[in-house]
Amino acid sequence: MVEPGQPWWRHVRWLWLSLMSFVALMLLIAYQTRWVYPEIHAYFSQSGNLTGQQLATRARDYLQQGLDLLLQAPDDADIRQQAHFQIKLAYSLFDIGLYRREYDCTLPSLAVIDELLVRLEGDEPVTATHLRQNVLAPMRCLTRIEMHQLDRRSAVTAEFVDKTRRHQGQVLAGSLVIFVLGLGFWLMHELQRRRAARSAKESLEWMSRALRDPLTGVGNRSALHDDVVAKHGRQMGLLLVDIDYFKQYNDSLGHPDGDRLLRRLVELIQQAMGQGVQLYRLGGDEFAVLFECQEDRSLDDSCRNLVESLRAAALPHPSHPHSTYVTFSVGAARFKADHAGYERGYAAADVALYEVKEKGRDGWQVAALDSREMAG
Amino acid sequence: MFQSGRDVYGRALAVLLGVLLLAPAVQANPDSLLLHDGEREIELSIESLRERADVEFRFFEPYLSEEVSIRGLVFRDLLVEHFGRVPPQLHFEAWDDYDVTLSDWDDPNWILVTHQDDEPISLRQRGPVRLVERDYGSRDPANLRNFNDWVWMIRSIEAVW
Repeated sequence: MVEPGQPWWRHVRWLWLSLMSFVALMLLIAYQTRWVYPEIHAYFSQSGNLTGQQLATRARDYLQQGLDLLLQAPDDADIRQQAHFQIKLAYSLFDIGLYRREYDCTLPSLAVIDELLVRLEGDEPVTATHLRQNVLAPMRCLTRIEMHQLDRRSAVTAEFVDKTRRHQGQVLAGSLVIFVLGLGFWLMHELQRRRAARSAKESLEWMSRALRDPLTGVGNRSALHDDVVAKHGRQMGLLLVDIDYFKQYNDSLGHPDGDRLLRRLVELIQQAMGQGVQLYRLGGDEFAVLFECQEDRSLDDSCRNLVESLRAAALPHPSHPHSTYVTFSVGAARFKADHAGYERGYAAADVALYEVKEKGRDGWQVAALDSREMAG
Repeated sequence: MFQSGRDVYGRALAVLLGVLLLAPAVQANPDSLLLHDGEREIELSIESLRERADVEFRFFEPYLSEEVSIRGLVFRDLLVEHFGRVPPQLHFEAWDDYDVTLSDWDDPNWILVTHQDDEPISLRQRGPVRLVERDYGSRDPANLRNFNDWVWMIRSIEAVW
């Protein structure tokens, strides 16, 4: 069904149309070979054999042979019998409906031949004069028929050749049209396929963008949630990192410098935590670090290492009330990666972060969750 | 009319040659049909075939361009009777020296014609026996090339296995 606003050609199965075109082309070629060439065979295969000869030609030959015999020995009984046989064959090949209908000399000629046969059967004398006076007419008639039939055959052959040439031209043109249509349909299919691939790629890019923070390039809160779901059942560590007095930083240095600080912080966290961790910006100056973590000690080490690395970076903070450098507060918790475990772990890390801030910031704390709380 | 001795000898020689050339055709008996199956030869009299002719119909005869009454035998039955079964091919020889080998004879549509318009056919009617298709379908009777398989003046039939 065509949806409103969608052009109809978006819904055509171009590949099928293309395949059908090429199948049609093959069928056309098969038709040409299977059915048209036998017709050519029927026209031209009879040359060189008896059925390829005109009946009039064969009749004239037999009549000629009979007359030759009679002219040589008209009174010899054997010769007369042989001549009678030849002339009967001539009569049978001459007595054709087509000749009777189309050539007015046929019936008189057949009558003359019939009279000659009767004479031969009745042992009546057949003289050379009688033969010359009566039998030359059938010979002329048969020759006339031959010539006319040859002309007609030539005309029919020429017409057939013309028809075949026209037919072949039509078949060639049809083949070209079908071929071009097939190519066109295939091209449309290719365009449709590329359009679909491009659309899919764009969708994936948009989906990817939807999960990323445009300022720092790291994942956002949705990505954090998706990654936790992907790690279902595993023991995870979650660090929530907050820049202390970031608002004052922005107020004193401006938002562009604040943005640069955020990007720098991402680099520092990634360097400090190494491979196998995922970094997310949850909003404003709050980041999260997610990694697989089997025990609290490992989580402590990660927090310590992170805070010390950030302190070592000694990023200037001109409006910090207690320091000349940027400081960070980190709250951490371990949890089992499922929906309830994540919510609990996230809340615990947030509480730990709050407690660090309550205690004056620039520090870290790991939430103390027992194994039952972690398992949910 | 004066004729030289050379003319007389030449004429005699020509007659002799003619007799020798035409001898096979004249020696054969147009009143019989020969069937060959390997070494076996069966001679069927045309008269017996005429007597046995039991199929009658009217149809438009393309070579005569008119409707005629035909009587004859179902050719396939004759083949089975004398060859045991229908041979895959048959080699025909005709009285007009036409010879041809054709296949696909296991078809009751082929009739061996012995009579036309209630008269026995002879060489003058392209007999003494000839083959026709009782029903030639949609083939154009005006184009006689459509009927090249209709063998006339049949003298002998040889089974080709």
